[in-house]
Amino acid sequence: MGKRAGFTSLIMSRWSSTLLALLSPVAIAISSALDPIVLQDENQRVAVIDKLTPSVVAVFDRNGRGGGSGVLIDEEGYALTNFHVVQPTGPTPRCGLSDGQLYDAVVVGLDPVGDVALIKLIPPKPGFKFPYAPLGDSDTVRAGDWSIAAGNPFLLATDFRPTVTFGLVSGVRRYQYPAGTILEYTDCIQIDTSINPGNSGGPLFNLRGEVIGINGRGSFEKRGRINSGVGYAISINQIKNFLGHLRGGLLVDHATLGAVARTGEDGRAYVFDILERSDAYRRGLRTDDRIVSVNDRPIGNANQLQNVLGIFPRGWRIPVVYERVDKEENRIVRKEILVRLMGLIPRELPEDRKPEKPEEPKPGEKPAPGKPIPIKSRKPMKPEGEGAKYYVPRPGFANYYFNELERKRVLAALPRPQDMTADKVWVLQGEVELYDELTGKPVQHPFKLELDGKKVLMKLGPIDYQTEPLRVGEPIGNLRQPPGSGGLLVALHYWRLLLTDQDKGFEQGLHYGGYEPFYPDGTSKSRILTEVLNGTSGPFTVKFFTRPQEKRVCGLECYIEEDADPCELIFTAANGPKPDLPGKVEVRFGDRRWGTLHLRKVELVQPEAESEKR
Amino acid sequence: MTSRYSQLPSSRRTNRPGIAQGVFVLLAWLCPWATFILAQPLPDPHTGSFAQLVRDLQPKLVKIYGAGGYIGVTDWCSGVLVSPDGLILTVYSPTLDTENLRVHLYDGTRHECDLVAAEPLLDVALLRIRDGDKKFRELPLEYFDLNQPTPKVQVGDWVLAFSNCFQIATREEPLTVQRSVIAAITTLAARRGIHELPYQGTVYILDGITNNPGSHGGAVVTRRGELIGLIGKEVRNTLTETWVNYAIPIEALKDFVAKARAGNYKPLERKKPVIEDRGGFLGIVLVPNLLDRTPPYIDEVLPDSPAEKAGLRPDDLIVMVRLPARDGSGTYEEHVVHSVRHWRDLTLPLEPGAKIQVIVRRQQQLLRMDLEVVRRPGFRLNKPATDKAADQQ
Repeated sequence: MGKRAGFTSLIMSRWSSTLLALLSPVAIAISSALDPIVLQDENQRVAVIDKLTPSVVAVFDRNGRGGGSGVLIDEEGYALTNFHVVQPTGPTPRCGLSDGQLYDAVVVGLDPVGDVALIKLIPPKPGFKFPYAPLGDSDTVRAGDWSIAAGNPFLLATDFRPTVTFGLVSGVRRYQYPAGTILEYTDCIQIDTSINPGNSGGPLFNLRGEVIGINGRGSFEKRGRINSGVGYAISINQIKNFLGHLRGGLLVDHATLGAVARTGEDGRAYVFDILERSDAYRRGLRTDDRIVSVNDRPIGNANQLQNVLGIFPRGWRIPVVYERVDKEENRIVRKEILVRLMGLIPRELPEDRKPEKPEEPKPGEKPAPGKPIPIKSRKPMKPEGEGAKYYVPRPGFANYYFNELERKRVLAALPRPQDMTADKVWVLQGEVELYDELTGKPVQHPFKLELDGKKVLMKLGPIDYQTEPLRVGEPIGNLRQPPGSGGLLVALHYWRLLLTDQDKGFEQGLHYGGYEPFYPDGTSKSRILTEVLNGTSGPFTVKFFTRPQEKRVCGLECYIEEDADPCELIFTAANGPKPDLPGKVEVRFGDRRWGTLHLRKVELVQPEAESEKR
Repeated sequence: MTSRYSQLPSSRRTNRPGIAQGVFVLLAWLCPWATFILAQPLPDPHTGSFAQLVRDLQPKLVKIYGAGGYIGVTDWCSGVLVSPDGLILTVYSPTLDTENLRVHLYDGTRHECDLVAAEPLLDVALLRIRDGDKKFRELPLEYFDLNQPTPKVQVGDWVLAFSNCFQIATREEPLTVQRSVIAAITTLAARRGIHELPYQGTVYILDGITNNPGSHGGAVVTRRGELIGLIGKEVRNTLTETWVNYAIPIEALKDFVAKARAGNYKPLERKKPVIEDRGGFLGIVLVPNLLDRTPPYIDEVLPDSPAEKAGLRPDDLIVMVRLPARDGSGTYEEHVVHSVRHWRDLTLPLEPGAKIQVIVRRQQQLLRMDLEVVRRPGFRLNKPATDKAADQQ
């Protein structure tokens, strides 16, 4: 063998000069014959790869035996990867960048259903800024576009410089059935760009160097777990919906409508079964209704419904348009409803799930291409290294440290009137416009509200309402007062608590809940994106919709009972008596507006004075 | 990325060492531009994206559903429309072996269809969407026109492959698109399962992983969307055990389509192996073979047989046989016959014309009989000899 090789090379050297002499004019001709556009494209491609390379992360477990890939998305060191990459690495993976350095990292948020994880690389010194890749818009990606995948297939790179592959987008908005029990790829991007074990969690870029997806799965059958020309990337727009949740250290869940649809003879999606405790049912959706669109995406067959729903986090409220045949009138009625989506994972599950404990391998799991090279030890992994300083385990959370961080950021931005302290009784006065259910016309009444942090008193025209939300045995009728509001008094009580006591007002905790859409006028057109705080107190849960950048609370939903409609308050600044308080509070319950409170006067009274006055 | 790599071979061909360099440069410079002007490349000049082409071609592609569904045999495959009245060209496979063939068109509609003609030797089949379907008639169907000349392709050319691999798409969902380069134009030595592939003609070997479950019958097109081939089956190279990604050139199928369409396609004549009746006949029926070593007693002697002529009778016990040596040397060898089975093994290979000698025990004497093997009477072609027939020697 050695001899033969030597012989070959000898021939090569003997003839190579002649060959070169013969070929050189051809070579020159070819290079000059290349269309300048080809060269320009090549240079552009090289430039894009140079630009994106520093943002690509090689993710390892602490022993460097297994791992995958990731991508930095901001200068603080937040990076996206797959859930199934950090599952075996434990809460503190190690990350290599193309500068050849190994960085400590910590798991921030986990999306087990969507197979996404957010991790944070720990800066080696204060003020250190990480290179990162901008996020693109995956809705503009089309089949036939070019794409670039980067990562660490087969954990090849010892210097952490990524392997870059180039290929075509084969399809978009693809749906891949759950592998095992929950892992599900919805609305994903199908690529022929080569991805292999170790590419998992790595970025898929467009030719502008923007992240359009996170590579994580492929279709295989008999050829083993290597590239089969059919890979899948989780679309970045789906991840954007969850990014707030992930930054908030949450263990997130995906959405379902609470209804099952089937494809009818005409190829459209019809509701086949619906849970009566679902919000979709309360909003009026019934069996045999045809789902026309979800979040403005037209729905064809039933698969597509599941595909579209999967990109939303549980609890999001999104517009659903349905059609129903009105048999009496013999016509088709089309209606838009705003539906609060249910979760996929049973609610009890997060409670006893310990996020730091790797899950048991799921039976019958479809092999993912990017399945990290498996690690033998399956015992719970302890946080280690620098990342351990940023890791607080807590049931139901991926990493509670980051939930506190985000909650503090939001609370710090919210208005907190200096004089309206917890020890004072708030006396609020003004008029309320009530909407008559029959005529729909507003009727005006004066109101007076007294909130002391324990009980709520409301004088509405001639009638007095009073409730003490946390008193044992408080009748549900009192909690729902005034009638038709769904629990306005309780809602106002917790609004006061947020402003005065912030998180201390919720004895079972106030947690950051990521991004959620909010509809100030109750229609899909009024949608704004808000950041959410979820408070739990006694039997009540309260969801606050905030805009920290505008330093305001947009509204809240107060749930008196589980699986029932909340009382909704929508706050508008409009000429209030105090600059930090909203001048107008709209009250909604179910599908209707109950009334609008116009705040005219605010008095702060010491509790003793209040009792004397009475 | 505008990929005009297909221009490379043209410039390479025009240049030969020894001609003045200035001429090369001029020629080399002109050639690509000539190609450029003649055939505007399809990818978007700004992004190099094929998205427009991919979208435009989807109406000409179908998803086919038929028989199968168990391991190794998909119950779906891919196909291309080749006429405005719903003729579909696909690769012949067990998927089509059903009365209940259905296609999903790009607009999500479902249609029943029938097999018009199939040619296993070309590995190709033509289907027709059933006329009775009213929805179908209203559709303006787009199709690949096989009457148009098919562009010549060469090794190194870029192609796009469309298929419903892994059944990723149903109804209106678009088929998968992959990019490939023609790596070789050659014949195929491959196997599928344990069977040799029937198609022996020229194929395009592709460098992409285009032949996945259910890809067969998909379209291979040029960068300008011209149909040049049908994606083949999932096959493995017999020598290396590696999977082969290949496509059948459309040129090789045009004659089939034209004839099948006109309704006068006759399947190619397969060279059927002629089985010559070389089995011999002695006319001896032994007792039923019931034991491990059933003694080879004669049960019956057939009339007009060599056995009758030699004088063998029922109840004779075959003791020894002398027959031509198996090495074909013309010598004889002798065997003591242990059992019915042993007799069968010894005499089965005998051809007509062979002369043998049998020693039998009849009561208390040993008798030597000479027999000449004759052609078996009433032998049917291609029917394997059953146990009984063998015993009837």
